[in-house]
Amino acid sequence: MSHPQDALIRLAHVGMHPDRLRERVSMAGSPAKVLRQIERGDLSVPVPAREAARVPAELRREQLRTAGIDFLARDDVRFPERLRLLPDAPLFLFQRGRDFGGTAVAIVGTRACTTYGRRLAESYGRTVSRAGWSVVSGLAKGIDGAAHRGSLNGPSPGIAVLGSGVDVWYPRNHRDLGESLLEHDGTVWSESPPGARPLGWRFPPRNRIISGIARAVVIVEAGVKGGALVTARIALEQGRDIFATPGDVGRSSSLGCNLLIRDGAFPVLDADDLLECLRLVIGEPAAEPVDTTHAPDAAGTGLPVAEFLPTLGTDPLVAMTELGRMVAAGMVAIDGNGLVETLAPSPARTGP
Amino acid sequence: MRVMSHTPLMFDVMFASTNSVALVGVEARTVSMEAHVGGGEKGRLNVVGLPDTAVREAKDRVMAAMAVSGYRFPARSVTVNLAPAYLPKSGSAYDLPIALALLAAAGEIPAGACNVVALGELALDGRLRSARGGLGAAVVAARMGVPCLLPAQAAAEASIVSSADVQMVGTLASAVSAALGEIDSPPPPRPARGEADLEDLAEVRGQPLAKRALEVAAAGGHHMLLSGPPGAGKTMLARCLPGVLPDLDRRAALEVAQVWSAAGRTRTCLSQPPIRSPHHTATTAAVIGGGSGIPVPGEISMAHRGVLFLDELGEFRPHLLDALRQPLEEGRVTIARKGASVTFPAAVQLVAATNPCPCGFNGNFRQSCTCTDRMVQRYRRRLSGPLLDRFDIRVQVNPVDPDAMMGPPEEPSRQVAERVAEAVRAQEARGRRNRDLARRHLDAVEMATGAERLVEGALRHGALTGRGFDRVRRLARTIADLDGSERVKEEHASQALVLRGTP
Repeated sequence: MSHPQDALIRLAHVGMHPDRLRERVSMAGSPAKVLRQIERGDLSVPVPAREAARVPAELRREQLRTAGIDFLARDDVRFPERLRLLPDAPLFLFQRGRDFGGTAVAIVGTRACTTYGRRLAESYGRTVSRAGWSVVSGLAKGIDGAAHRGSLNGPSPGIAVLGSGVDVWYPRNHRDLGESLLEHDGTVWSESPPGARPLGWRFPPRNRIISGIARAVVIVEAGVKGGALVTARIALEQGRDIFATPGDVGRSSSLGCNLLIRDGAFPVLDADDLLECLRLVIGEPAAEPVDTTHAPDAAGTGLPVAEFLPTLGTDPLVAMTELGRMVAAGMVAIDGNGLVETLAPSPARTGP
Repeated sequence: MRVMSHTPLMFDVMFASTNSVALVGVEARTVSMEAHVGGGEKGRLNVVGLPDTAVREAKDRVMAAMAVSGYRFPARSVTVNLAPAYLPKSGSAYDLPIALALLAAAGEIPAGACNVVALGELALDGRLRSARGGLGAAVVAARMGVPCLLPAQAAAEASIVSSADVQMVGTLASAVSAALGEIDSPPPPRPARGEADLEDLAEVRGQPLAKRALEVAAAGGHHMLLSGPPGAGKTMLARCLPGVLPDLDRRAALEVAQVWSAAGRTRTCLSQPPIRSPHHTATTAAVIGGGSGIPVPGEISMAHRGVLFLDELGEFRPHLLDALRQPLEEGRVTIARKGASVTFPAAVQLVAATNPCPCGFNGNFRQSCTCTDRMVQRYRRRLSGPLLDRFDIRVQVNPVDPDAMMGPPEEPSRQVAERVAEAVRAQEARGRRNRDLARRHLDAVEMATGAERLVEGALRHGALTGRGFDRVRRLARTIADLDGSERVKEEHASQALVLRGTP
């Protein structure tokens, strides 16, 4: 019994570069023919990849089902429409989490970010998510991670597009962040087969998915070299609106953003400014924006302990006692900088 | 004292001995200066008994000073022995005892003049210069029950030993008179009792969190880490700490003074806990102790029973920070060198200040940090985990807003010190300071149900780790002591969670 997608599933597990795979499939005419080329040795791939191609589709489906991973072929109804319209649309996506059907805003930037950039990314992420749009980013160190983290403070599900397999968290210490994203009804996508390691060449192709799914792309902090500017260039080709955050003229991690602004990107300042710009570009969000004025964390997030205490009362001892109770209750945490951080309310944290 | 004839006639007396002191670590050992006048070559002086160069040179100074003071040098050869011979002796302080023993052995002065403990360097004109070890000399003199002859500065240092008969002498001649009880030398000046140059909490405006942290640190003896941008007042806060600590009792004050004396320093305000703040370029030997030959105490020992303040903790050599760990654990430091292996006391309260990142503004609201995450991480990695673990209290200090700067003076250190003293008494009644509470002690600490529930909640939410759990319980115990409470209540545990900082 054969299925029309059998060949594609087997081919997807070979782990070829997406560009090369697409080119081969269009030249050969069908995934099945590419598989035969691999089998015959006409298409040279590493030995493990060749062996991976031989695994029967039924077994692959079984493996994916056990691991909780969905396989979305391009003609699948669940495959996002915006991605299907790209000239270099992926042939398939591996997916963990919910199917995505909303409006997304990409927030990306350098991995070597400054605190300034990280805080901005976090507040952008939070604002976008609260406005009812999904935050899409790459779950990388630095800006990407911060944007995801911020988005967990809002109601909208986020999207992480990985260069590694969807079951491989990279960097490893972003595992908790990734799991929280999934628990938040979020989505994790990758073109690489499950178990694929985070090799450098896998990352540039995934950037086109990040900007592809997004209505607008916000670059928070970027040097002149690196993935963030690549994403910006691809986003331009895809016709997405580019927003960039200005930074110090002399600071190398801001140079990329400043160049983008010089070349015509929309400069954005704080989170409110971003929200206003996005409304102009995307229109009013479908979801009801969350009222942030009396959210318990709105005031506290990122404040130094000494400045947070007066908001809890005039008597320092009483305020300290209150803050200690909040820490013990898992509502806030004091981070390495002595800043009071609001913790994302997630099922994992509330315990038995 | 051991004199063969009591008649002060030339050549009749052959031998005499007097006493002085040698420091081994901070321990004062009695050394005897024996002089023998014998036959043989005229005018020769031989010094034996493991003297160093400075001691060997004493013979030239002693001969000159004797001549100027009107004494005759024996016309026979003289041997001076420093006993016990196995103890290494160093420095110029043995000039005076050598001269006294020599004069008595030569029959120039009565033998009674030798029944003293003496210390001092002789100038060629017969005057006395000050020397290290005055305190140790007084300790030895008190032990032997004999007078102690010391030059001015050493005498001031020695005056803390109230059981010793310390006499301040200015010249070789006056030393002889004082030893014979012929003149009553003026009592040595008492060291100033006034406040040493310290900051007072009344001058620190605002900063309620940091002040509370300081009070709790003082009460429990907890090591404290202050973190914050330049100009936030970390150094000023640290310098306030000795002022809120309880005064040293007599025994403790003597202990500290002896360490200082061994380092060649004199304390001005004896009852005040010392504070030492070595610069971050200091060598390991300077901070831990060391030196060639006989080890001398380092800054950590001079801060014994007081505060060791390390500003810019991240800038200290990693090797040095590692070397701090063992003394912090044991309250003393053992140094082995060629000359001797000695143990110095080093029970210090460590206060450290650090910037959050190389530029100093990470986590600051009013000024943005220009460091990348990697730079910040590298900066923080320099502080090793095991050292950071020692700090029960970790708080962030932020610059005070200008309004508070203009405000009235706040609660003075004296008032805080009273509360601290009360809490310290409660701990001493239990047998140990809260800083030293190990897990088995902590398990015995009585906690109210609310406090237990709060700490359990913090553990469950990942706000506490196993080690942090102990630190929070230690701090909570101290906060309860400040509150005069026998049980740790919920609010005590809650405040401890805030003072402890990160998990």
